[in-house]
This record gives sequence, C-alpha cells and structure tokens, in this order.
Amino acid sequence: MTIKLEKQTIEIFKALKKKKSNEINAAEFADELGIDYIVLMSAINELKKYDLADFKEKEIFQVSLNEEGRSYLKERLPERQLLEVLLEKNQKEISLEDFQKLSDFSEKLFYIGLSYMKRNRWIAQSKATGENKIFLIEENFPETELEKFMEIFEKKNILNYSNLSKDQKKFVDLLNKRQLIKKEKKTQRIIFLTNEGKNTKVSQIEELHRISKLSSDMITSGSWREYELKPFDVTKQGPLLKGGKIHPVISMINEIQEIFLSMGFTEIRGPIIESAFFNFDALFQPQDHPARELHDTFYLDKPKEAKLPNKKNVQAVKATHENGGNSGSMGWGYDWDEDIAKQTLLRTHTTATTIRRLAEFHKNNDKMPVKVFSIDRVFRNEKVDKSHLAEFTQIEGIVIDENVNLCDLIGLITEFYKKMGFEKIITRPGFFPYTEPSMEVSVYFDKLGEWLEMGGSGIFRPEVTYPWGIKNPTRVLAWGLGLERLAMLKFEREDIRDLYINPIKWLREESY
Amino acid sequence: MPTLELKIERLERLVGKELNIKDLEYDLQWISLDLEDVNEEEQTIKVEYNPNRPDFSSPEGIARALKGYYELETGVPEYEMNSSGITLNVSSEVKKVRPYIVAGVVREVFLDEDEVATLMNIQEHLHWAVGRDRKKVAIGVHDLDKIEQPFLYTAVKPDSVSFIPLHGDGYPMNLEEILLLHDKGIEYAHILEGKEVYPIIFDKKDQVLSFPPVINGVITTVTEKTENLFLDLTGTDFDAINLALNILSTTLADMGAKIETVNVNYEERDDIITPNLEPRKWELSIDYINDYIGLNLTPDEMIKCFEKVRMNAKKSKKKGMLDIWVPAFRGDIMHPVDFTEECAIGYNYLNLPKTIREGGIGEYHPVQEFSNTIRKIMIGAGYLEVLNFILTNKTRHYDFMNQEKVESELVQIKNPVSKEYNTTRTTILHKLMETIAYNRSEEKPIRIFEVGDIIQLDASEETGAKRRIHLAAATYHENADFTEIRSTIDFIMTALGYKKDFEIVPNDNPTYLNGRYGDIMINDTKIGEIGEIHPEILNRFKLEFPVSALEINLETFL
Repeated sequence: MTIKLEKQTIEIFKALKKKKSNEINAAEFADELGIDYIVLMSAINELKKYDLADFKEKEIFQVSLNEEGRSYLKERLPERQLLEVLLEKNQKEISLEDFQKLSDFSEKLFYIGLSYMKRNRWIAQSKATGENKIFLIEENFPETELEKFMEIFEKKNILNYSNLSKDQKKFVDLLNKRQLIKKEKKTQRIIFLTNEGKNTKVSQIEELHRISKLSSDMITSGSWREYELKPFDVTKQGPLLKGGKIHPVISMINEIQEIFLSMGFTEIRGPIIESAFFNFDALFQPQDHPARELHDTFYLDKPKEAKLPNKKNVQAVKATHENGGNSGSMGWGYDWDEDIAKQTLLRTHTTATTIRRLAEFHKNNDKMPVKVFSIDRVFRNEKVDKSHLAEFTQIEGIVIDENVNLCDLIGLITEFYKKMGFEKIITRPGFFPYTEPSMEVSVYFDKLGEWLEMGGSGIFRPEVTYPWGIKNPTRVLAWGLGLERLAMLKFEREDIRDLYINPIKWLREESY
Repeated sequence: MPTLELKIERLERLVGKELNIKDLEYDLQWISLDLEDVNEEEQTIKVEYNPNRPDFSSPEGIARALKGYYELETGVPEYEMNSSGITLNVSSEVKKVRPYIVAGVVREVFLDEDEVATLMNIQEHLHWAVGRDRKKVAIGVHDLDKIEQPFLYTAVKPDSVSFIPLHGDGYPMNLEEILLLHDKGIEYAHILEGKEVYPIIFDKKDQVLSFPPVINGVITTVTEKTENLFLDLTGTDFDAINLALNILSTTLADMGAKIETVNVNYEERDDIITPNLEPRKWELSIDYINDYIGLNLTPDEMIKCFEKVRMNAKKSKKKGMLDIWVPAFRGDIMHPVDFTEECAIGYNYLNLPKTIREGGIGEYHPVQEFSNTIRKIMIGAGYLEVLNFILTNKTRHYDFMNQEKVESELVQIKNPVSKEYNTTRTTILHKLMETIAYNRSEEKPIRIFEVGDIIQLDASEETGAKRRIHLAAATYHENADFTEIRSTIDFIMTALGYKKDFEIVPNDNPTYLNGRYGDIMINDTKIGEIGEIHPEILNRFKLEFPVSALEINLETFL
C-alpha cells in the first residue's frame, strides 16, 4: 500500500523520527514546531490511519507557586524576612511584643514566620526572665533546603509532580501545607511512533496535494484543480454559534399579541406606578378590604401621592362605595377616604390600565365595539421562590359593547384559548370583586393530561363602569390570565425564576 | 381563598342523598366551589369557597346549595323561630366605641365533635371575612344557663370593671389590664386604641358576659354539658353583624338545634328582634336578566333557576318583572346584576351557549411595535435577548456601578417583603451586568441586550412617575472593547435611519473607563451612553474579561 500524506504531515513525521524519546508531550511538541496544537493532532490522526503513529492520554499533576508563594520568591519566606529584621537591628534577644512591633507583620504571618524560625533552630523562646523573650541561638544562617528547592520555580513556573524526586516531592508537600502551592490536574496527550512508524522511511511516503481550505488565489487562478480538498466529518457537530435570539418569553408574548390582533383587539399601555384609586377604588374594592393590605401590595414612599382624575369621576366613585351612587347598587356603606385613594403603588394588575381606558370611552366618543388588550408587568409584594415572583406578566382582554352578554364572553374566551392551542375549555362560576357574573376558566392541557385553571373573566360590575358613564345596556367583558405559568409549561421549566434570570445556556438552546 | 374539608358521609346525611365522590368532584364546580383535594380513602373532599360566600363556611351551608342543585329542596330554606323572652338593653354609651349589637338564643344544642369543629371554623371565618379580624364584627358564644337576663350592652371606663376573662390565669382583671396582659387583649387592643370607654356586656347580676371584641368572661364558658347558647354579635356595621348572626344561627339550626329570638332594645334607636331571618325582597326585569346572560328564558324557567339557587321567585304584579326573595344568610347580593349570576348558576354554566361577536380592528401599541423593530436589529447584530425585572436593588443599581445614588430622586418602596427589591430601575445596564455575572462560566463571547421599561420620577405626571422604554446592550469576552460596541451603535443607528444624525461626544462617566466613553447625542440632546465598563465594576461583579456596553432611551425614536 502506498502511503500518501500531506506535506505538513510528512514534516511532522520527520520531526517525530528525529526525537530520541518515544513519549512526546503533544503540547510541548506543537510549541517546538511552532504549529497549532490542533494541526499537530490532526496530522497524528492522519498518521494513525496508516498505523505510523498514535497517542495516549495521561493524567498529570501540575504544581506551581500560588500568588503568595511567588511573592516569597522575591521577598523570601517570612521566617527569613523576620530573621533579617533581627540581624539588621542587631538584636540578639528581644521580647516577643517588641519583635512583633519591629517586624510590622500581620499577626498571622508573624506567628507563621516565628514557628519556622524555631523549626530551623535559628531561635529559642523563653520566659525565664519573666518576660516572653526570643534569643538568636546561631551565628550563621545558611540557606535552608526548602529555600534552595524553591529556586527551581525561578526557572520553571510549572512542575510536573510525578517527575519530581522523592525529596522534591517532600518539599512540594511542605509548601502545600503552608498553602503556597497551586495544584492542577491536567490531561496530557503523549504521542509516539508505532513500530510500523519506526520502520517506515520518509522516502516511502508520497506527498499528497491536499488542502483543507480554498484560497482566493486558487479560485481565481484555477490552481484548485491541482489539489485534493480534504473531506470534513459532516456528521460532527460544529462549534456553538453564539447568535442573537429573541427571549422565549418575548416570543410567546408576540404570539399572544398576534392572536389578539387577529381577533380585532388593539393594544393599550398604562402606568406601572399607579394610584390606589385606579388600582383598587375604581374597581369597587372597599378601602378596608384585606387584599389592599401592605403585605400584598408594594406601596410607595416616593412618589408620595398621586393626583386624582377630575372631581366628577372621583365623586362618582366615592358615591358608589358609600351608597351605590347612580349604579343601582347598595354600595359598601362606609365613608370613602380620598387620601387612601391617593396612595401610590406598583400596580397589582393591568386592570388599573383597563379602567383608564374606560375613563377615556366618553372623552373619545368611541365607536363600539371597543376591543383592547394588554400584556404587561404587574407586581405583588411576595417572597420570591420556585413558584412565586414579585413581578410578573398579566394578559388581559376587554370588550366594550352594547348588549354584550355572558354567552358572548364564553364565545370570546373559547376562541382565544383555541387560538392559544387549547381545544377543550370549561367556564364555570367564579368570584372576582369587580365582575358579575364571574367565571373561572380551565383548559385541558394535553401534554399533562390535566385540566388547569387558566385565569378569570366576567362582566364588569355596574359599580365599576357607571362612574365613567358606561351604563347598561353598554357593558364591559373582561378576561385575564398570567403568562408565566403558561411559559413554564411550554418551556418545561421547573423554577419560575428562570424566566427572568436569563440562564444563557437555556436561552441559547430553547426552541420557540 | 378559604378552604373547608367535607366528609362525604356527613354531607350525605345533610343532603339526604347518596353521594359519589367522583360525581361530587364534578358537581361542586357548578355551584361555584373549587376543588382543592380529593381523598378517596378517607372519603373527604377539600373545597375552596369564594370570600363573598361566608355561608359556605360550613358543610351545612354547602349542603343547602347542593340540595338546590340536585333539586331535592328548592327555594329559600325555612326556619322555625320562637321568642326566647330574653331582653338585651343597649345603652347609648356604646355609640362612642362600638355602636351595634344583635343577639340570638339557640336551645337544645347537642353537637358532636365534627359539629363543634364546624362551629369554631364558622366563627373564625366570619371574624376574618365579614368581621375584618373582629373590627367590624365580633362574635361571642355563651352558656345561657350560667347567666340571668336582662342583659346590658354598655360602655365603661377601662379601669372601672374587673372580671375573670376566659383563657386567663383565673384572676379578675380590669379592662385596661386585659389589653396589656392577656393574649387576646394584646392581639386586639388596636381596635380600641384611643377610646375613652370600652364596650361590655353584663347580665342582670352585673356578671360580665363579654368584653367585645376582645374576650368573654369565664363565667359563660361553653362545655360539652352546655345545652343552650346565647350569641352576641357586636360591631361597627349593622348589616354585617346581622349577616354573621344569621349564618351562625341557621347553621346551628341545620345541626338540629332550635333558634329563638332576642329583644334588643336600643336607648336611641328602634327596638329590634333578632335574628331576623326574613328574606329580602327584590324586583327584577326578566328581559334584563335574559339580556345580561344571553338567554331567552320564560318567566317560569327563570323562576326555576332562582329556586335552584335557594331563592324564592314569582311573577310580579308588574308586567315583565319577577319578585325575588334572598335568604337572610346571603350577604353578597347588593345590585340587580348579582341576580344574573344566580340565574346563570341555576341554569348551569355548562348549558350556556357560546356566541361570537365580530368587529374591531387590531393594532399594536406603537411602543410595542418599535420594541420589536429594535429586537430585530439587535438580533441581526448577533445579540441574545434577555429579560429582567423592573424591580431592583439600590446597591447594585448605583454603588456597584460607581454611580452616586440620590435617594430623593429614587422610587422608594414602603414595605418590601424581600430586601432584594427596594426600588425600580432607572437604567437597565446594571441588570445586564448581573446577567453576565450569573452566566460568567458560559461560553464566550456573551453578547446580550434588553429592551424594557425603566421608571423615572416626574412630578408633572399624574402618578408622580413615568415609564420609559430603554435599550441596553453589552458584550463580554476576551477582546470586548470600545470598537466592538461602537460598531454596534453604528449598526443600530444605520438601521433606524439615523446614520448621519447621531454623534458620540467624549465625556467622563464613572461607570466607564476614561477615554473610552462617550455620550450618544442626537441634535445636541443626550439620548444614551456608550463605552468600556470600568474594571472596578468588573471586579465587583467578579468578571474576568472586559465588558463594553451601551444604553439608549428609545423615546426619541417614537
């Protein structure tokens, strides 16, 4: 069989043959040849095909000095530094306290140095005079074996632990105990010639005109005809393309927006910092209602107070709370307080924005039906965990029209959820303080084989719509749901926080 | 929402029908109960009921509704009541502190363990949902045979009366001491804060029945031997205390006891007799109800629907109208519209047809539409979209980013549950830094962007703040530098048609490196910032490569 190899591979084979050892560190060899490690290894793979060379993997321990250790290379070990202090000041005996002051070392470092000075038999410590004193017990202080050993690191940063002698290992262990060593486990590739490779002469190999890349020159001059193009392993996955992508939650929001648009709904947007008036009072939520309490709602110290809309509307809301106003209701029968309505907060639902839209209905002289929706952030003062967020996204749809009724609402919701991909829908009686009749919506989730509660709906109570002049038979249908639960099911996430913490691995891998 | 555990066997006894747990599971939802849990082994069901239906706080209350649903018993439930001959006098002194009281007597009370538990549960629920934790309504249950009528509800100086309170140490305490030392006193003292006199109920011999809304006297303690009960309900809302009394007494009647009335004689109001279980009458238009639901029921069909939800109804003298009577234990009917839901429940939501109304033209909100345009540009530039909260933390927003925080210019949250969130963001960039830090070990380059809201205080706005839409982008890898982010802004501005209209003006900004930062300007107005992040900040976020970044206020382009 003739052996055909590329020029560079032949060069590498030649270089390998020149090596005395048959155990060659691949990384070092690549450096030596001045070529890329990957180029070397692919050449070795070529050689392997003809059984000329091969490689094996070997785990090694590399040791080097850590930052502190390296600093001692220059400044020398603490015990030596302390000794120098004494010698410089010509102190043969000194109290422990004075020594420490003189040294200007941190307490920890001082005691480490001191203990090694004792171990080196440079000093002795005694309380014989009543004072805790240090005595120099030698005249000369030649370099210790450890210090000699450390000099190795001045020439070579990284040592291969297994190549060290028994003595050297002892010193490395000692330095390691002093926490001056960094240890790293590494896998090394060792390349070697096979017997076949050793016996094959370079002259037996034919040069292959093969290239991996087409150059502009080759294309324009036509010289590409003289070369063979190296095949790629097309089955192998390519390196990760770190491209741009829409966030999965946004892509879901966009889909839902499209559904609303296709059903004739226009998007609305309103303030995130809201007044209690629009968030609660305008929704006929009594001012002493537990849901308004501090632990559910983010109230604000700044901005301190919101302005209320015009007097006429405020009076109308006040009247519905107190006695029903002109809405035909009995009201809640208490004294409504304007100051409570002025409190500022982070809105707890997008319905606050919906009410603002109702407020515009007559101002704009809107033509019915008015169909609007919002998909926007809302806030709850809750502890965040695996299944709770303090900030999340609410989806809401609204229809203002004459004589719209509960059956229309069921039809609307059924169509909406069908477009969302749910074929089976149940609407059953529910309760929300600002709708009547109210409905709970459940959908059948095929993936889980379960019915899931998917949000609420209803017709706004007259107490909510009358203050804005929206009176029977003009009515307001509304339905809403949370986005995050759907997102978790769709993207199969267990932890709701993942949706807003941006694990990039997930963002890169999630399909829409 | 409040929950209640139902034993099937007890429910069967109350409804008078054999019940199958599987059928119940299905049926309960149509009378507006939510199933929490089914335990087939123990034959129990846990249901959730809505806070507007405190009459569902007992199996007895739910059984009433089920009987209607199964058509075993329809219309308003009737209760026989005699007068107890007992009088409760009400002094006008109470107007200063807790103006209303009603009372009732229940005789021949022989409760089993389950029923005692139910009684406790109703009281707890009524105290919370109707009574706003005893502020609006407080309930006292007493052993009638330990005390002597007539009773007196009055108000006294805090230190003028002493008695031995229930759950105390067995010694007499005055009212002031109870508020200071007794567990219940400490819990409810806030309701009486600032009052000069405190409410109290005496019997004929000046024995203390109760110090509402705090604690009963030990003298009337209810034991297993108790046969006759005296109920007192005090509060600030006359309708609410009546509702609570009605729910409590009808439930006890359903348990087999006998209810009797009490004469409540107010000094400065008309005398009343309670409980008053007279159904409340309403008059409603048949067309109104049909039109609201979307049905076309005949008067008789509609009457049947109301009877199924335990109301009475008949054709009114006026044409096209119905007279409807609502049982006295229902507190949730306050507007004619409330009857539309009752009628629909009686008809059964399951049977309602679905109708489709066409019309309307859908449009995006301009902000949303523009945000999507920006997203397309950023993705084209190779950036990955991230999403973060608007809620944020002052330290990481400002201190971490080398920016001075001026507290007076920040949104201040009064009461955050978690310290993690104490303001809302005014810029996005620090959130991108957090995102990079969270993903520091992922494969580089990391190039990310976010289009989202920021909140700025603005006294001219109705709610004192304005939301704006920003774009921020950051790139993190070994070679991230100003050139890369400059190419990015050039790409964005070109795509938006502003290639020639913007400039980067060198400036200083402590978030960025000196000499590698500029203000992004359009027509001499600063719309954004661009540069290489200062290494001090990289250290704080424990990053090991450079970050270059930009942030733009997108309002300019809208």
